[in-house]
Amino acid sequence: MADVTFLDVRRLDVEHAAADVALAMDEDAFRAFYDRTAGALWGYLSRISGDRQVADDLLQEAYYRLLKSTTAFESESHRRNYLYRIATNLVNDSRRGARPLFESGIDVTDIPAPEAHATVERRADVRRAMGLLKPRERAMLWLAYAQGSSHSEIAEVLGLKTGSIKLLLFRARRKLAGLLQREVAR
Amino acid sequence: MSLRSRPGPELTDAQIEAIVADAIATEASSARAEAAPPSSAIVWWRAQMRARQEAARAVERPLTIVHGLAIACAAGLALSLIGTAVAGVRGSTGWLLGVYQSLRAALAPLSAVDFTSGWMMVPMTAVLVSLVVASLAAVFILVDE
Repeated sequence: MADVTFLDVRRLDVEHAAADVALAMDEDAFRAFYDRTAGALWGYLSRISGDRQVADDLLQEAYYRLLKSTTAFESESHRRNYLYRIATNLVNDSRRGARPLFESGIDVTDIPAPEAHATVERRADVRRAMGLLKPRERAMLWLAYAQGSSHSEIAEVLGLKTGSIKLLLFRARRKLAGLLQREVAR
Repeated sequence: MSLRSRPGPELTDAQIEAIVADAIATEASSARAEAAPPSSAIVWWRAQMRARQEAARAVERPLTIVHGLAIACAAGLALSLIGTAVAGVRGSTGWLLGVYQSLRAALAPLSAVDFTSGWMMVPMTAVLVSLVVASLAAVFILVDE
């Protein structure tokens, strides 16, 4: 019988621990959930952070943290809101001040050829105006109008009181409209 | 509703909401067109790999702590032994002198041997060096593990 060294025992411990890795979802459930949510989450991350590269990096991290979470989710929407909350916190943690997406305007090559020049200009106006909002205002407006989230869902994602969302949204809307007017007037 | 078609400064709340909703919807459609997230299979695989690495690190961490504690304990023990020995030697010089004299009498036949001579210093030095090297080797083996 071969001798078992201390190193062998430790290697076995490590392999045993690796085999016991438990994630919060099984593979099929995760992949289905990811396929339903990844595109929209990437859009949220890129528009809230203002940086496509940051969105690429944080997307993977957000799903990993969701998988490692021990939270018991009551529903699909609860899980999705939790994912968006993770994503929002990641953006807040990674904010470096630079907002290349908003500042660079829009790349004409991104726009399909038949679209009019006015469409390109309008998108650039919207992007610049959004870049002038506070990150929380951007997140709030995006959740409300791109995701169609309710006030309670927005509150859950952003860690705010549901009762305050209506007023905060009202202010954010007025601010964005004002900024859009300013952009158009330039 | 767009600001280009209606650039007036006074807008109602409903008009503002329509403008904002339209602007965000435009930006959302642009984001959807740009989005190219990695496939779910890749994301799942990376998550598995990372979770395994973290689990392995978590197992290794307590062993490193145990090694550190063992080395610290050994060092403390060695220092306390040295301290005790020094104190003992200081306190019992007379007793040691008696022991020495007894031993000398008992080992009278060996008194002809000169321990300070060159040929005796060589093996004694070798014994001391071996002890030091063995101790260092033990420490390195424990640290490597």
